[in-house]
Amino acid sequence: MNQTYEDFKNNVLNLGVDVTETDFNQRGYHLEIVLTLNTIREFAQKAYAHGFYLVFVTGFHVLPQETEGGKTSGLEVVYQFAKYDRLFRVKARVSVSEDMTVPSICHIYHGANWHERETHDFYGIMFSDHPNLEPLLLCEEDRDYHPLLKEEKKLKSFEAVSWPAESPDMADIETQTSSDL
Amino acid sequence: MEIISTLPPELIRMVFAAIIIISFIFLNAVMMGYLERKIAGHVQRRPGPMEVGFHGILQLVVDGVKLVAKELLIPVNVDRTLFRLAPILSFTPVILPLLVIPFSEKLQARDLNLGLLFIVSMTSINVMALLVGGWGSNNKYSMFGAMRAVAQSIAYEIPILLSMLAVILMANTFSLKEIVGAQQKIWFILLQPLAFIIYIISGIAETNRAPFDLPEAESELTAGFHTEYSGMGFSLFFLGEYTNMFTVASVATVLFLGGWHGPSLPYGEYLGIVWFFLKVYFLLFFMIMIRWTYPRVRFDQLLNFAWKYLVPFSLANILITAVVVKL
Amino acid sequence: MRESHFQEHNRFFLNMGPQHPSTHGVLLIVLEMDGEYVLDPQPVLGFIHRMHEKMGESRPCQGFMPNTARMDYVCALPYNHGYVSLIEKKAGIEVPKRAEYIRVITSELNRVASHLLWLGAYLLDLGAFTPILYGFDDREHILDILEDVTGSRLTYCYYRFGGVYQDIDDKFVEATRAFIKRLRKRYDIYEKLVTKNIIFIKRAENIGIIAPDMAIRYGITGPNLRGSGIAYDIRKNEPYSVYPEFDFEVPVGERGDCLDRYMVRVREMEQSLRIIEQALDNLPDGPVRSKVPKKIKLTPGDCNFAVEAARGELSYYLVGDGTGVPYRLKIRVPSYSNLSCLPELGQGILLPDLVSIMGSLDLVIPEIDR
Repeated sequence: MNQTYEDFKNNVLNLGVDVTETDFNQRGYHLEIVLTLNTIREFAQKAYAHGFYLVFVTGFHVLPQETEGGKTSGLEVVYQFAKYDRLFRVKARVSVSEDMTVPSICHIYHGANWHERETHDFYGIMFSDHPNLEPLLLCEEDRDYHPLLKEEKKLKSFEAVSWPAESPDMADIETQTSSDL
Repeated sequence: MEIISTLPPELIRMVFAAIIIISFIFLNAVMMGYLERKIAGHVQRRPGPMEVGFHGILQLVVDGVKLVAKELLIPVNVDRTLFRLAPILSFTPVILPLLVIPFSEKLQARDLNLGLLFIVSMTSINVMALLVGGWGSNNKYSMFGAMRAVAQSIAYEIPILLSMLAVILMANTFSLKEIVGAQQKIWFILLQPLAFIIYIISGIAETNRAPFDLPEAESELTAGFHTEYSGMGFSLFFLGEYTNMFTVASVATVLFLGGWHGPSLPYGEYLGIVWFFLKVYFLLFFMIMIRWTYPRVRFDQLLNFAWKYLVPFSLANILITAVVVKL
Repeated sequence: MRESHFQEHNRFFLNMGPQHPSTHGVLLIVLEMDGEYVLDPQPVLGFIHRMHEKMGESRPCQGFMPNTARMDYVCALPYNHGYVSLIEKKAGIEVPKRAEYIRVITSELNRVASHLLWLGAYLLDLGAFTPILYGFDDREHILDILEDVTGSRLTYCYYRFGGVYQDIDDKFVEATRAFIKRLRKRYDIYEKLVTKNIIFIKRAENIGIIAPDMAIRYGITGPNLRGSGIAYDIRKNEPYSVYPEFDFEVPVGERGDCLDRYMVRVREMEQSLRIIEQALDNLPDGPVRSKVPKKIKLTPGDCNFAVEAARGELSYYLVGDGTGVPYRLKIRVPSYSNLSCLPELGQGILLPDLVSIMGSLDLVIPEIDR
């Protein structure tokens, strides 16, 4: 696309994380980045240095998966960043391990403070080093109740709720959506 | 009748005057309340009160009944003595200045030779009421209001006194009647325009009217010093405020606008009151218009304005006046 | 502020809200104060939290439409707009061009109404009682126009997947044109009454300065950001609907203080009027609703759709699972991020300035609490 775009992509790739270019017309963002728990802060720092602002932080609940490292919690934290000066949206996600703890980025992006508190309210995900992880939107009494966690029978696997990898009907949807715009 | 004739006639006169003035104060508050709402309505492109009586003329009567009938709430943890004392303290002293104001040549309850000083000392008590009410309410917002009232009152008392002083230098007397008498030929507003402007600005601040209504700044302190008051406690503060406005406007009329002087009328020594009231209500109308036009100033801006502009200007004004008068 | 001036033992806490005239809703701000100086304002949210996201995830996507108008009730149509556009994108529904034009016209009218209300409310915060009634007077005309075509005055549910609920008629076009003329005449009044008012300028100038770096750290968007000199408007930067077809400017400020935010909003009203005029001039003919399947199926996978609401960037982030019920619906509301900078903006300032700053941020509490 252009210089900034490539720069940022290469810079992030240096962290050793997965970066996928996505179709903006289809998904509404340009890059999907799969972070690991160790790279969140470095990534946030890089995003901040490139002039990205934080759009939101939220959680995402899918069926836990068996991996070689053990069972995952099924929870993910989703970050979205965008830029003021040009059209460039980035989605980053990280899966939460069994201990439900994710490093907080609210020392880099101060606005993340409230977004992380909200995610903690709704999903029960802990953010380490967060200065004040108290209920924000929910009341004190509902401290242990996390409304956006799905019931077991409603949980779907991650594959069932993500874009299918290149398939013939995908092209269909693409043409449809782009003509929409 | 026996007893009355034994009483000194001066006492009877004073009691009579006091009764008239107290009833006038209520009448004035009702009129001012109606005027304020009507003018505010028209300023804001709406009709104002329209329902009760012709063009809502009885609205204030109905409101008065409502306020009297309302329960007097006294919150727990307030200082009950101070809490009850404050509205009375706010209302009582504002009656007294009217006793010395010359409404016309003959209509004056008592002509004190220190009339102006009497008025100044009486109106200053009002700020005590705000302090007591704000302190006694045991509410932080009320406390803010009380503190602001005190600071504001101290700041604005000085330019008021200094601007009065310029007039006193010219009239050479403290008696209100004689000050008016001295304006037979030319009103002091023409000789002392600066003093008049300073007096009006400080007067608006002294009566806690917008844009200087900081002690009751609604959007900052909910209702300031009278946050906790209901019913008559609340309305006594408002009676006090409106009467205070009337006093400030009357003094301005006496000092600068020639009091009862105007085109001559039959029975001039009595009917001069018509001119007096016209001038007073013109000033009150002006104050109401200001309130519904301007935003509120900030507290430090208010104090800066008093200390950095009004006080120096009024001092310079006195100096010039003194020199000119001496010459 | 010089920290040493404030002594530990003088500090006290003041609860501003949830019932306070200038929090504009049920927002509580716990102020740590020293005299009239605010040392640390901490907003407490959630008094009217309704969990819209959960509602969005537990019913078919059509059923969530009325909810969208109940977040930001002052400027509800862009919220409608974002949601229908997202679902249309996700379900592959075509929208007739006329419908998109109507959407833009009504959204922009709603934006003007929101800014007018804000103007009055901000001046009310600063202690001027009259401008709010002037603002209401003008806004009333917009509400009447919108009521005729949408059926409601505040919580609109006018847009439908694949179009709008009903077509606009000649009466609507006439009334809108008449309103544009009227509002342009009224600029003079606002200018004399407010913009050139020395007390107002002194209350707003150099108060609550948002630096560009601070905007990045907190994710501030909308007029609050544009006041700081960054021309970021989703309508321009990330064009959606038929906005690219219109010629309009993005007004920006210089210093990022309350006065700049005020000026940006005032100038934005004129730009919105320009968009409406162009849209009315070039309004295409045709249907206003396309054929939409009875059961809408959302394709698996996530999708983000951002629109410019009156207060800033509104993003709907949706994850579909092939059924008609969204698997995950995240709503990113602008005021939430805009308010989150208050603890930093409000350090060591006077209480009246805090009121001025909060007013200039244009907060709508139901939107923050969702």
